[in-house]
Amino acid sequence: MSTTSELLELSLTQAAALVKSRQVSPVELVDASLARIAEIDGDLHAYISVYTQAREVAKAAEIMQAAGHDLGPLHGIPIALKDNIALKGLRTTAGSKVLSDWLPDHDATIASRLRASGAIFVGKLNMHEFAWGGTSDNPHYGAVKNPWDTSRFPAGSSGGSGVAVAARTCWGAIGTDTGGSIRLPSAINGIVGIRPTYGRVSNHGIIPLAWSMDTAGPMTRTVEDCALMFGTMAGHDAKDPTTAKVPVSDYMAGLRHGVKGLRIGVVPGYFFHHLQAPVEKAVRQALSTFEQLGAQLVEVDIHNIHGNISAQLTIESCEPSTYHQRWLRERPLDYGEDVRTLLEVGEMLLATHYLQAQRYRSLLRQEFMDAFAKVDVFICPTLPFTATPLGDMKVVIENGIEEDMLSAIMQYTGVPSLTGLPSLAVPCGFDQDGLPVGMQIIGKPFDEATLFRAGAAFQSCTDFHHKAPPI
Amino acid sequence: MSTHTPVTPELVAQLGHYAALPLSKERLAVVAPLLDAWLKDANQLSEKMACADYQALVPATVFAHPGNHEGEVTL
Repeated sequence: MSTTSELLELSLTQAAALVKSRQVSPVELVDASLARIAEIDGDLHAYISVYTQAREVAKAAEIMQAAGHDLGPLHGIPIALKDNIALKGLRTTAGSKVLSDWLPDHDATIASRLRASGAIFVGKLNMHEFAWGGTSDNPHYGAVKNPWDTSRFPAGSSGGSGVAVAARTCWGAIGTDTGGSIRLPSAINGIVGIRPTYGRVSNHGIIPLAWSMDTAGPMTRTVEDCALMFGTMAGHDAKDPTTAKVPVSDYMAGLRHGVKGLRIGVVPGYFFHHLQAPVEKAVRQALSTFEQLGAQLVEVDIHNIHGNISAQLTIESCEPSTYHQRWLRERPLDYGEDVRTLLEVGEMLLATHYLQAQRYRSLLRQEFMDAFAKVDVFICPTLPFTATPLGDMKVVIENGIEEDMLSAIMQYTGVPSLTGLPSLAVPCGFDQDGLPVGMQIIGKPFDEATLFRAGAAFQSCTDFHHKAPPI
Repeated sequence: MSTHTPVTPELVAQLGHYAALPLSKERLAVVAPLLDAWLKDANQLSEKMACADYQALVPATVFAHPGNHEGEVTL
C-alpha cells in the first residue's frame, strides 16, 4: 500500500488504525521495521538483539485478523523492549556482560500484556549497563548514538529506546525509569515518554536498579501513541506486590478535552534556575502556549525541593549496590568502569544516609501533595541541557563551569522519582544546533490521564513531534 | 553544623573493610573523590532531616501490603 518510508512515518495510532482497516498488514510493518534497523543500526547501536522471527509472528497476526480475531489496540504493531525486560527463552542482558547469556524462564508482566494486546517484538534495546547511568555509553554493546547528531549522546539509561523510536525503527518502545531513564532520553531524542506513578505498572520480570523508585513505561513519537500503549500495560499485577489496585483509566478518552482551566504549577526558584538558555526559552515558550490554550500558571514554593539530588543519588546507589553485592565481589571485572565505581561508592554510604534520604522523600512528597490543592500539574524542563558530545562525563550548564554529568542530569527528574508522582516528557523545542529540548508534566498520583490530556493539547498546536532526525 | 573531612583512599579502604569489599589501590583512588562529593551532600541532608521538626517523619520505604493501596487514590 505504501513505501517503507511512508509506513515508518506513520504514528503508532495511525498504523494501528490502518492495520485494523486492513489497509496495511502487520507483515508490511515488521518488514519496514526490520529493514530500517538493518539500514541504520550498525551506526546507532540502539539494538542489542533483533528478532527476524518477528516476521513469522506478523504472518500469524495477519491470519488471526483474517479469521476475525482482533488481539487489541496494538494488533500487528512492531514494538521494541529495553533489554532489562525479560522475554522467555530470549537473551536478556540488561546491557551487561554479567547477564550476557541469560535466558529468562518467564516473560515480564508488561511484555505479556503488550503481546496480549497484539504487539510484535522486533528486538531488545541497548541501554546504560544495568540502567545505572544516564549516557547509554555501553562498554559491552557499543555506545548508543543520538540520531539528531551522531557525535552526541542519547541520554539514558533507556538510550536505545529513545533512539529506536526517534529514528523510526519501531512504532513504540518500552523504557524503565528510576531517576529519569525514560524522560531523559525522551527529551534528548525529541520523543514522548512517561514515567508512571510508582505502583501503576508492574516491575515483575524487569532487572531492578533501585526497588523503591523503579518504574517502566512507553516511549513513542506522540502523546496519543503513548496513551494508547500505556493503557495496555497499566494495572495491578499479583506478581508485583508494589503495584496498586487502582482502576485503570481510559487514557484515550480525554485526549481532545483541552486544558482550559488547567492550573499549572511552576516553582520559580528551582524550575528555571541553573539551566542552559535555549532550554529555558523553549520551556517558557511552552508555558505561554498552555496559557494561550486556556491554562493558568500558578507560582508555588516547594520549600524543601533543594536536597533532592543528594537524596536520589544516595537511594539510587545504596539499592543497586545491595542487588549487585555478590556479583561485585565475584565478577568485578565484568562491569564497566563507571558502573563498577558507582556500585563501590554505594557500599560506602551509611544506613543512616539511606534512611534520612527516604525520610526526605516523605517530606518532599507531602509538600507536593499539599501543593496539588492549588494546581493540577507542574511543568518544568526535563533536564537543564541539550545533548552533549559522546563520551563526555562533564557538562557545562552556565558560566563555563564543568559539572559532573550524573548529578546535573538529575536536576529535574529526581522530583517525580523521589515522590512517586507520574511525569510525562514531551518535546517542546530545539536549540541553536537543532538538538531537541523537552519538558516534563508532573501530575497527581495515578492521574496519568491529565498528563496525557495536557500533552495532547500541546501537540495539537505545535509540530515539534513531527520533526524527524536527519539520519 | 556538620564538618566535612575529605575522603581519602585510606578512608575508602577502611570503609571497604567494614563492607567486606576489599579494593585495590587503583580502585581506592577512583572511589575516593566521588564518595567525597556525595558524602558531603548526604551529610548535609542528614543534618537537615535530623532536626526536631521532622522527628515524626517515616521513611518512604515501607512494606507493601497488597490490597491496601486504594487509600492512596487522590483523584
